[in-house]
Amino acid sequence: MTLSVSGLSAMRSGQTILCPTSLAISPGDRIGLVGASGSGKSTLGHVLVDALRAQSHTVAHVPQSPDEALDPLRSMAFHWREAEQALGLQPGAADQKALFSSLKIEGGDLRKRPWAWSRGMQQRFVIAMALMGVPDLIVLDEPTSALDPVIAAATMGLLDRHLRGSKTAMMLITHDLGLVARRVSQLMVMHEGQIVEHASTKDILERPQSEPSKVLAAHRNWFALPC
Amino acid sequence: MLKVDHVSVKRGASVALKGISLSLDPGKTLAVVGESGAGKSTLIAAILGLLKPSHGSITWAGAPVRSCRPALVMQEPRSAFNPALSLRHSVFETVTAGKLKVQDDRLERLCRGLELYPGLLDRRPSAVSIGQAQRVGILRALIAAPPFVLFDEPLSALDAVTQKHTAKLIADLQDEEGFAALIVTHDLGYAVAHADEIAVLKSGRIDEISTPQVFMASPKSEYCRTLRDAAVALGALEPPV
Repeated sequence: MTLSVSGLSAMRSGQTILCPTSLAISPGDRIGLVGASGSGKSTLGHVLVDALRAQSHTVAHVPQSPDEALDPLRSMAFHWREAEQALGLQPGAADQKALFSSLKIEGGDLRKRPWAWSRGMQQRFVIAMALMGVPDLIVLDEPTSALDPVIAAATMGLLDRHLRGSKTAMMLITHDLGLVARRVSQLMVMHEGQIVEHASTKDILERPQSEPSKVLAAHRNWFALPC
Repeated sequence: MLKVDHVSVKRGASVALKGISLSLDPGKTLAVVGESGAGKSTLIAAILGLLKPSHGSITWAGAPVRSCRPALVMQEPRSAFNPALSLRHSVFETVTAGKLKVQDDRLERLCRGLELYPGLLDRRPSAVSIGQAQRVGILRALIAAPPFVLFDEPLSALDAVTQKHTAKLIADLQDEEGFAALIVTHDLGYAVAHADEIAVLKSGRIDEISTPQVFMASPKSEYCRTLRDAAVALGALEPPV
């Protein structure tokens, strides 16, 4: 079933940070959401998750900062149980051992509170919670920003395997064009609270039409360019 | 200059850093990379004097590092600021407390280079994006022209264009003012492009210190090769020629 939302918008301090936006996401879609810092990517992610949950769709959300997903006063075991309950799973039904092993966090002590885990481990724990069920959509906001390249590659590999052949759609919010180039088939480019271009990843990276897309595509490997 | 001499640090029962030695001259940039939990953040805490080494010493020009008033750009942008105060208040809190001098056009130049409109500083941390908070964190660190700056993942929340402009500002200021920069990052593209040396940490030890050219072309250790190849696979680095 296609996930459809229309008229999503958001304001902050009297300013519009997300202009009215409509989206349709088909099962199995792999969509990347890119744009400049402050363009409204994370805001769209949050608003989209809320709107779809209000329509009774199941949505897993990995926010940009693990702090947004984890209560500092609750143990990691509490968060895991809470996620199982939210998905209607029996306690212990999710294959925690396999997920933790794939994400290389099997050494984490679930009795501890979030701050006793490193930031990278917290981020992977939140990803593990997102992968315990079969939601309609997974929204991943900068899922590898706190991970070293080896762990990041393993994490994205796990995501690829988990979603292969699945009807679960994925939205990957990131500023890392190298990451989306290999993992999503469609790209949406945001600029000042609006989606200014939505096309195949290949088209946007090779033949961007809008000015923000051209700027982003031109800076894909900025570190190789003279400052 | 910074001198870290055979430093070990214990955290609880475990040893987080094991015999670390490195040095960093004014005007130079050292990137510290490695896996999560390797001890990168512990190294920063030890350099700042927040954790006491169980063995070894850390000095700046022969004195405790704190004597040079090092600046820190923290990893978690929003929680690096007091949530109840405006960003402007937090930026100038250390300047006021330390009775530090700030050049007249410093704030304007930093705001321009970091692409922050001045009015944004009057907001609280929760009212700006994580990327904007990260750039204000860089502004706060550089406002009083410190001689030594520690950057913990300074570009992680920024888009490619803003990353480039921010990296250019840091490089320009470093050329002009000669501060030493220690950058902890997972972004090997940034480390290879901008650092004079790259130190790879693994399990609390330095696995290898090399120039970016050697790191890319012929790293000695197996782990460095794994790290480089993973970054290439992720699209963060161009394949070595």
